[in-house]
Amino acid sequence: MALNRDKVGTTYPAYRYEVSREKIREYAAALGESDPRYFSEGDDCVAPPTFAACFTVTKGGAEAFADPNLGTHPALVHGSQRYEFGGRALRPGDVLVCTPRIADISARGSNELMVLEVECRHEATDELAVRSQATIVFLGSAPAADEEGAA
Amino acid sequence: MSDIQVGTELPTVEQASTLTTSVMYAGASGDMNPLHFDPDFAGQVSPTGGIIAHGMYSMGLASRVLTAFVGDPERVLDIEVRFTRPWPLGTTSTFGGKVTDVSDGVATVELTGTNESGERILRGRGHVRV
Repeated sequence: MALNRDKVGTTYPAYRYEVSREKIREYAAALGESDPRYFSEGDDCVAPPTFAACFTVTKGGAEAFADPNLGTHPALVHGSQRYEFGGRALRPGDVLVCTPRIADISARGSNELMVLEVECRHEATDELAVRSQATIVFLGSAPAADEEGAA
Repeated sequence: MSDIQVGTELPTVEQASTLTTSVMYAGASGDMNPLHFDPDFAGQVSPTGGIIAHGMYSMGLASRVLTAFVGDPERVLDIEVRFTRPWPLGTTSTFGGKVTDVSDGVATVELTGTNESGERILRGRGHVRV
């Protein structure tokens, strides 16, 4: 069944995420990072750029995937991902407020592409921390009308 | 870093994907899709018939190319990638970058991830302050 295109523009409830030193360390270790700042006990500790995956991928899509009126299904792959960063790297103790939004739904051949944006702002200052844009490819669910003539 | 030239090739990051790297990335990122560690589940749904690495793991490795180049994660302004092929466990991929533009103190780097057969598993782009 196709995704519900009336859902484009829908914003889902914001969630909070608190950046912790141990999670930064764990994430950096999983990537084989060697920059000592990722493992620092001091004030110079920062997170690697794609640390944003920890709070934008699974958490970012949770509400959308639970929405019975959106019509997501499990046959999917992560097609592309973009992160735009605010003015500084994330640090332990940063508290973010993250708002997911369905930015677009379109068809490509027999598949559907859903663009999920998550805008994450510092709770304390309202400054942008990171903006995530994920394109999720739902396999085989495009409406027949769109499928016709598609490349 | 005022001597950055268009055409500069960045040092590469080479990585073998294993069950250990996949489980570590699943736990660290919170992405517990069993496609990335459960052979029975992967056998049913994987495009390759076996376990594949997280796309976000490959993006993280491509990001390492950028941060190692500029020496500071804070200089990375944005990064975007397309996941163009699955990365099966037990294979090695190489991540690299090439400077394609330098203007107003910002370098554009084209990013690639390449499998053992020379095929692209990832293509992307990042902007860094230089």
